[in-house]
Amino acid sequence: MAGEMKFAKSHEWVRPEPGGLATVGISKYAVEALTDLVFMQLPPVGTRVKAGESLGEIESVKAVSDVYAPVSGEVVEVNEALPGHLDTLGRDPYGAGWMVRIKPDDPSELAGLLDQSAYDALVKS
Amino acid sequence: MTGGLLAAWWDGPADGPANMAADELLAEEADRRGDPVMRFYSWTTPTVSIGAFQRLEEAAACPAIAGLPIVRRPSGGGAILHGTDLTYAAAVPKSHPCGGAPQALYDAVHLAAIAVLGELGFAAHLHVPGGDDPPADALLCFSRRAPGDVVVRVPRPPAGLAADPKVLGSAQRRLGGTVLQHGSLLLSRAPAAGMAARHPGLSDLSVGPATWTPRWLADRWGARLAESFGGTLQWQAEAFATPRLVALTSRATRFLDPRWTARR
Repeated sequence: MAGEMKFAKSHEWVRPEPGGLATVGISKYAVEALTDLVFMQLPPVGTRVKAGESLGEIESVKAVSDVYAPVSGEVVEVNEALPGHLDTLGRDPYGAGWMVRIKPDDPSELAGLLDQSAYDALVKS
Repeated sequence: MTGGLLAAWWDGPADGPANMAADELLAEEADRRGDPVMRFYSWTTPTVSIGAFQRLEEAAACPAIAGLPIVRRPSGGGAILHGTDLTYAAAVPKSHPCGGAPQALYDAVHLAAIAVLGELGFAAHLHVPGGDDPPADALLCFSRRAPGDVVVRVPRPPAGLAADPKVLGSAQRRLGGTVLQHGSLLLSRAPAAGMAARHPGLSDLSVGPATWTPRWLADRWGARLAESFGGTLQWQAEAFATPRLVALTSRATRFLDPRWTARR
């Protein structure tokens, strides 16, 4: 059973999955703020990422933004279909719009992220 | 802003990698100061800057800009032929009122430019999308029209000239703590380009003799922007690069690296 979804202040979400993996994507708020998405680059499987550092880039008609790793670890799976179907992010950012699965170096890192209510308060402020 | 000041640098010409490196360092400067910053600059030689994800081979194969040096920007958007433009970079912390939704900084910088162009008699305005807009994926930035681009109304355009030619376009890179935006105000057509890339600039669209210089435009533009931020413009005495030569040289290697330029 999946665990509680957490959020980074930089608008990525992360959800603990059975088997110790963590699924990562960007929030509905971020998708809507970016407006029309035109391109996305995700890291190859096997990439080591560090919390707070860029794990990919996303281009909208307005801007290029980094997607930051919410936790440190190794990218073990990538949603290869997503860059070709960016509309998925708008339709289902927390489901089919997932970006990567990470094997966290330290699962306790998730505790330092925001829960849903704290994230909701952040984007409303 | 600290003390209500918008720090600005008037920089001389540099090559593509040095200019892109300086823009990234400018964003770091905004982060360090916690305030907006701005610089104006030019290019040592006509240079094409392409968007972060544009295809290099598409730009290299475009006859209108063939053979010119190409640098890849950290920001998105279309290719720009620099050399007859006034280029700017502005950076604001994300905590700034213009650091949230992307359109806020576009509008602030572009409305400041429109006010200055109005002082010169140009009927400049923000572009509103319409049915006859050129393709949004055109290779060249100035062949595109995005909402909020600055266009100039030409009441009776001569053959071959759009009714509202675009004179200012910008692009953003949203970084960890800051937003970097840079763009080009076209001053005149580019003689180094083929016809398809010779977009008209201010001197081509003016009905009388030009009464402005690039420095005058920067003075007025920066002042208007600072005013919109609730502060005043403060020019810095030395070029932005001068106290940052080591960092700039190091950062420029990224933009010189063929792996960056040919990343797509």
